[in-house]
Amino acid sequence: MTTPSDPQAPQPQTAVAENPSLAQLRAEAMQWGRKPRRFGGWYVTEHMVRAMRAYGWTIVIGALGQPVLYLLGMAVGLAALIDAPITDRGQQVDYLVFVAPALLMTAAIAVASEEFTYPVMAGFKWRRYFYGFSASPIASAQIAAGVVAGAAARMVVTVVLYYLFLWLFGAVPDPATGWLSIFAGLAAGLAFGIPVMAYAASIEDDKGQFALVQRFIFMPMFLFSGTFYPLSELPGWLQWIGWISPLWHATELGRAATYGDGVPPMLAVHVAYLLVLALGGWFLGRHYFERRLAR
Amino acid sequence: MRALWAGNPWAVVQRGLLAARSSSWIVVLSGFFEPVFYLASMGIGLGALIGDVQTSGGVDVPYAAFIAPALLAVSAMNGAVYDSTWNVFFKLNYGKLYEGMLSTSLGPLDVALGEMLYALLRGLLYATGFLIIMQVLGLNLAPTAILAIPAVLLIAFGFASLGMAVTSYMKTFQHMDWINFVLLPMFLFSSTLYPITVYPEVVQWVVKAFPLWHGVELIRGFTTGVMSPDMGWHILYYVVMIAVGLVFTTKRMRALFLD
Repeated sequence: MTTPSDPQAPQPQTAVAENPSLAQLRAEAMQWGRKPRRFGGWYVTEHMVRAMRAYGWTIVIGALGQPVLYLLGMAVGLAALIDAPITDRGQQVDYLVFVAPALLMTAAIAVASEEFTYPVMAGFKWRRYFYGFSASPIASAQIAAGVVAGAAARMVVTVVLYYLFLWLFGAVPDPATGWLSIFAGLAAGLAFGIPVMAYAASIEDDKGQFALVQRFIFMPMFLFSGTFYPLSELPGWLQWIGWISPLWHATELGRAATYGDGVPPMLAVHVAYLLVLALGGWFLGRHYFERRLAR
Repeated sequence: MRALWAGNPWAVVQRGLLAARSSSWIVVLSGFFEPVFYLASMGIGLGALIGDVQTSGGVDVPYAAFIAPALLAVSAMNGAVYDSTWNVFFKLNYGKLYEGMLSTSLGPLDVALGEMLYALLRGLLYATGFLIIMQVLGLNLAPTAILAIPAVLLIAFGFASLGMAVTSYMKTFQHMDWINFVLLPMFLFSSTLYPITVYPEVVQWVVKAFPLWHGVELIRGFTTGVMSPDMGWHILYYVVMIAVGLVFTTKRMRALFLD
């Protein structure tokens, strides 16, 4: 943050003028607004990240505890029932190795479903801090971008920790490319989260919509995206859930990275789909932010 | 005793029902779908990979019939815990609802029992729906499955009673997140998705100390029809849990509002 005493900052020339003219005043105002106008999004990010400190321990324990619990549950528990290795993309892998990438992607998406819902609602309605940002030279689109960057920061922490656990548990047979699944996780979180942010920005009254998103979008996506077994185990009339689910596309990328041989055949499709969701969500979300903050 | 109990918990239940009418019923109804989605996903997909599973009663049952009673117990737990923590926390700290109630002739025991009975009504609704689905899919292997309904109520009562007592100690919303850290391992490890026998014996004893395992075993006994005298212990566990929770909650309500 720049303070007036900061020697690095350009000092407004007109600050000492006795009777400033209108042009001088305008120049001064423009001068002070230059930095927020250029970097305003990052100020918003800073706010979002600082706000997370209120529940910092919850984030840390969640990011450390959940992978351990799920890995113990899946690796020790379910794997004991599934004797035969899973056959996926023509190669046989242990059950743990098979579920691990899906769990990583799910963790990123869970962060997204938390950070892109209630905090957005709070910014517009409950605590109205978006209107506060908007009263400064920060543009609406920058506010939206700052929210995305703040959530992404938490996602990165979660996904990197998760990946380290997977690696320690021996769930990454191919560490040389396995770290790429970190990026797939970030992409999964953003492809799911940015459209959710757009939806959250469009909600005027909280009538439990987020609980419905959780139950009718997040839950089915988690359960029917080939997370616990290959998508092909599901009957055809249920497989479409996987095809439209960012979780499945990201998981396929993660599986290719952690144990796949070479480049997956549908690499471009998976990446493109995640990009389309994130970008589509972004244009829609920016529109809702601009419309609502202009009122 | 007069200070604690006016014999009218039903007034609190009625208030809950009236309030539910003006809030979103879709959200209430949607809770029913969670175990159904789990059953569909795990039953169809994992069921194909796993085949039959041996229950603690020593019989082999199809995988879907193994997890369905456990999912019923889990949804009873989740429903009761969410109702008795999130809802109660809000009423306690933001709605200031109980202060109003306790300034009438109602005592803390009326309020505690009333809130729990209201939570049980919701649990009854979900359990009945889920059992019908199990019946249609042929996952109820014995006529004793009907006893799963009172069992669900017992489980929900136990969790609601203890949950409300714990909630009375919470000060911020962030404290509520800790509840998830208790529920998630219970859900994963309580012979929900696979038998407890995959663990070493020490771990098994730890799991058996937690309430959900007793609930899962109880309901699974009824729906598979493999009954054993051990089920008496599971019931006793919950009876004690309910009693402890009720005493605790009543005391806390008194300390918070009347003393």
